[in-house]
Amino acid sequence: MIDIQETHKKFRKELSAGTVSLALLSILAQAEEPLYGYQIGKLVGAGDEGSEASAISVKQGAIYPVLRSLEIQELLSSERELSDSGPPRKYYQVTESGKETLAAWSKIWNETKTFVDKVLGGDYQ
Amino acid sequence: MKTTDEIIQTYLDDLKSALAGADKATVQDALADAEEHLRTALESERTEQEGLEESAALEGIIQSYGDAQEIAQAYQSWESSIPSALAATPAARRTISSANGKSYPGFFGVYADPRAWGGLVYMLISLATGIIYFTWAVTGISVSLGVMVLIIGIPVSILFLLSFRGIAFLEGRLVEALLGERMPRRASFTDSNLGWKERLKQLLTGKSTWLSSIYMILMLPLGIIYFTVMVVLISVSLALIISPVLAYGFNIPVGTFIDGDVVRQLPNYFTPLISILGVGLATGTMHVARWVGKVHGKFAKALLVSD
Repeated sequence: MIDIQETHKKFRKELSAGTVSLALLSILAQAEEPLYGYQIGKLVGAGDEGSEASAISVKQGAIYPVLRSLEIQELLSSERELSDSGPPRKYYQVTESGKETLAAWSKIWNETKTFVDKVLGGDYQ
Repeated sequence: MKTTDEIIQTYLDDLKSALAGADKATVQDALADAEEHLRTALESERTEQEGLEESAALEGIIQSYGDAQEIAQAYQSWESSIPSALAATPAARRTISSANGKSYPGFFGVYADPRAWGGLVYMLISLATGIIYFTWAVTGISVSLGVMVLIIGIPVSILFLLSFRGIAFLEGRLVEALLGERMPRRASFTDSNLGWKERLKQLLTGKSTWLSSIYMILMLPLGIIYFTVMVVLISVSLALIISPVLAYGFNIPVGTFIDGDVVRQLPNYFTPLISILGVGLATGTMHVARWVGKVHGKFAKALLVSD
């Protein structure tokens, strides 16, 4: 028997793979100053039981590799700063090409959303 | 009851074992991210709430961060979707995609390979960096040993050892940028909650400090070899390539050779052939640069990135 719970989880994970990148890019584009990982995690409410983000199953720890990958693609830039308490923090901000990419990705997202909504609503003919 | 430091250390150990087999640099990045997050989160809860039950709060923070298995998986899947640091440029993406079909760029394709150009630049600057690293390492070690008997000897040695770590990190960035070998993207920091004795012990007994100094010393002979080989290959190739210009344009004899005790000269119409030979040698040079870059990247990783 196929584990239903497991397939739900897999579907969520597949969906979140792209949407998390879009969400993080958007959060950083809206922020007025560079943010570090912990703040970003708080903002999306990742890892909080019952929050929106936990519905798409993002753990706070899973944000960091996404931030790194966005940075490698030169959509984000980062700077390390010492903090008074604890280890140095890595502050991220959106680059110019990140802003352009965000616009393009938002468009793709809207197209996808419209398409899926249309199909789910049964009015695709 | 475990202290918060112990809990964080246990989590980091779990994460490290969950990442077994992953790229060493990925492991180092993942551990640094996790430690930054856990400590920052704990610190911010501490300021928000007086008399916080720290161990319990930390368990909650780890809960939201995600368990070690899950986080390890996240890093590995993101890491595998990015072939290398060079993949950010379109030219590199093309090379990588063509390299997937064919493991080598082809004889002339090497000119479009950023790794070959990176290797070339690296080899040319390695003489300068090699001299700097060698001088610094040798000065550091000998000054430290020399003043060891004095009270000021200890801080002096510590400063030098710390600088070795910093240089190892910077060299790592250079190696990743030019040679494409994945290196740590952030310096490993020492835990500020540890006592100075513990930190000093880590610095002195840590394998990474000493391996870095060995690397710095070896960079001088390697730099000399890399630089010399590259300069010779490049100048010989260029000389061969421009030989028709020299022969026809400036009437400079090209292709002289000694036959017994007579000096003979190849007719000028041979010079285009010499030029073609030069193009071949130049292309071969690019292949050498690409190969040396690859091998040196592995070597740098072995010595500069600790497990």
